[in-house]
Amino acid sequence: MDPTRVWIDTALLEIGIAAYVTGGLVLLGYFLLRNPVLRNLGLPLATLGCAAQFAELGTRWWMTGVWPLTNLYGSLSLFSAFSVLIFLVFAYRYNLAVIGGFVLMLAAIALGYATTWNEGTMPAVPALQSYWIKIHVPIVVAAYASFMVACCVSVLYLVKDAAERYFQRRGANVRGAAATSGGPALDVALSASYAAGERGIRREDTPATAQAAAAGDVWAQWLAGLPSLARLDVMQYRIIGIGLPLLSIGIITGAMWAKEAWGAYWQWDPKETAALASWIVYAIYLHLHTRPEWKGARTAWISVIGFGSIIFCYLGVNIWISGLHSYKM
Amino acid sequence: MESRNAWVVAAPLRSLRASWDELVALFANVGFGVTLLATWALLTTIGVIVEQGKDASYYAGAYAPPLARLILRLDLENIYHSPAYIGILGLIICSMAAATFVKVIPRRIPRLHPVRIEAIPLHATIQVAGDVESVRARLAAFFAARGWQVRTRSFGGEEWTFADKSNWARRGVLVAHIGFVVIAIGTTIYWAKGYSGQFTVLSGQTATIPQNGATIALDRFAYRIDPIRTKAGIVYQPIDYVSDATITGRDGVPHQAVIRVNHPYDVDGTLVYQATYGFGIDFRLTRDGRPVPGPDRPLLEGEGFVVDGTARAIEYQRFVGTIDRTTGQPGPDPRPNDPGVVIEAFDGDRPVGSALIPLGEPVDLGAGYRLDAARYVLYSGFQYRYDPGIPVVGLGALILVLGLCIAVYSLPARLFVQIRPVDGGSEVGIAATTVKGYDVFEDRFGEIVAELRRTEPGLEPPGPAPSPAFAG
Repeated sequence: MDPTRVWIDTALLEIGIAAYVTGGLVLLGYFLLRNPVLRNLGLPLATLGCAAQFAELGTRWWMTGVWPLTNLYGSLSLFSAFSVLIFLVFAYRYNLAVIGGFVLMLAAIALGYATTWNEGTMPAVPALQSYWIKIHVPIVVAAYASFMVACCVSVLYLVKDAAERYFQRRGANVRGAAATSGGPALDVALSASYAAGERGIRREDTPATAQAAAAGDVWAQWLAGLPSLARLDVMQYRIIGIGLPLLSIGIITGAMWAKEAWGAYWQWDPKETAALASWIVYAIYLHLHTRPEWKGARTAWISVIGFGSIIFCYLGVNIWISGLHSYKM
Repeated sequence: MESRNAWVVAAPLRSLRASWDELVALFANVGFGVTLLATWALLTTIGVIVEQGKDASYYAGAYAPPLARLILRLDLENIYHSPAYIGILGLIICSMAAATFVKVIPRRIPRLHPVRIEAIPLHATIQVAGDVESVRARLAAFFAARGWQVRTRSFGGEEWTFADKSNWARRGVLVAHIGFVVIAIGTTIYWAKGYSGQFTVLSGQTATIPQNGATIALDRFAYRIDPIRTKAGIVYQPIDYVSDATITGRDGVPHQAVIRVNHPYDVDGTLVYQATYGFGIDFRLTRDGRPVPGPDRPLLEGEGFVVDGTARAIEYQRFVGTIDRTTGQPGPDPRPNDPGVVIEAFDGDRPVGSALIPLGEPVDLGAGYRLDAARYVLYSGFQYRYDPGIPVVGLGALILVLGLCIAVYSLPARLFVQIRPVDGGSEVGIAATTVKGYDVFEDRFGEIVAELRRTEPGLEPPGPAPSPAFAG
């Protein structure tokens, strides 16, 4: 194999990992300090890493003539590249850079783990010699990536929601203590309220946190600077709104490929059924999201559970369970 | 007397009707549907974790005894075809049907009605110049220019303006549900009319598909396995499996066919797929140098024969492509360079030992018997399937994805506009509702209000515009 091409491949991989780790640390700094300089530094680094990754996969294809997604290395590489790409779209379009540190770190971990499966370049086994691999795999991996980004948003939601509950409890205790001691009652409106914000109209739906922040609580001040719960919920819904149709199309294209390769569009293979289980979890999410009483922390938990099921489907089934998608030797 | 009889008949009917209504309400309930979906997901996940379709002895060996018993008693080893699984799918379809008819269809296009503007969380009030009629006309033009469908209605003498966007998309959930039902119909068609199976054919032999009578004569099977150098060492990678066959269908005319993985052959609507391959072995048995009856055809892996006149049986376990002569063990190269076979001998049902014997080198079985794995014959394994439901399943999948995309990517919204006269002008109250709640439309509503403030001549002197009030 041409050593120059191998060198380019290795260099692009190393640029990708380095950019993700550095960009992840910088964006974690932005998450903690909310300093716009860090965001403006982290986002280009994420873009660089993402571009390097796509270029690396392209180089690998160019080098060997073999579609680079026939093994777990290629698949995980694409997963991390797509997750960063989806993050970047939401970061630029919806100002959602606060989750960047987590997304980039997870992408770096995925890419680092992928390198342990990098056996070099091999021709595809007969079952994978199909045009479907160029359709099915990228679609499914993009779905997995969007669920990963959605999970990061969900965790942020749950943290902010838990903090709000904590400040509500603490506020109630302080009020109770003030009432029993005859001191002045705190003027806290615990119901949701709306106020004018930096983007014109911004909903303030964590009043207890805002109250604690106004009272000088540093932790509450930091939390109050995060996007509102409503905004996080909408972002999470929008990202899952990308992932679920992609997963549906991925399952359907997989079924079409299975029909062509194995004679049946559905064989109850562990991978197929695990993907179906994940699809059902996200279908539950969509149904519950239509109910105001379930929307919020509960749907955020479903999103987290859904990503757990995706990890099981993606890595657990491929690595630990024998089946038609197995990487077990 | 007659009326009393009518009452006697009507009371159970009323009770039945009430019970039916309660049942339909239960099935249409989102919580109930979600519980069914969660159960479906759980059962599906159990099916992923517990290996399916194995013998009872497998579970006894792989799991602790109580767990193995649980798996077998609850049908978890065949979960996807168990009554529980099929029952859950049936209940989900009933729940979807109930929800579709009770909730999705009646609510798909909500009727136009007046609202209390301040009671809707997304609302704003703007004071603009002009009388009510001229403001109404200007606002209608404003919304129509931005793609809103504008309608006016009079309620109790008061004119209301309604602006709708993406009303067609309110049918997204309905479309997705229909897709799911169409998939279920397509699957049922296969169960009712389709068939599938598998068979193996040795090179030079013919097999028949029993359901349609088509014959497949395997002229030649070929494979390609390449040694690939990887970081972990040499890996023998399968590259291609090809069956050259002569297939005769209903027309009685033999057709030459090349069947590869991913390239099935269609014979009278039944697709024939390349599935597996292997090495049939021609075993020859002698006693004191003279041939004795043995297997009358090449054996496939897992097959065996009884040694004539004894209680002993020989099973052909697997083919070894290359024997490592230094160790006498199977080598890594699966290609038949120096081939052999692994056989296991049984005395009755009791295994008495196994051995790797090279092809063409007879092995002593005792009592004067010698076994020779004389030659190998390649065989090809095929799957076949006739599934008339596939176009329906495909259509259902398309409808499902279409409905899902409509439901997820479009945001049907309605604006309620109430215009009242005030001193020197009119007061415009606007409220917005969407099928996905208020949060998702908050920014857009803010933009609409801000744009209205910019374009409509206000009563206030120019200056910083106050934020619209959003009530919780």
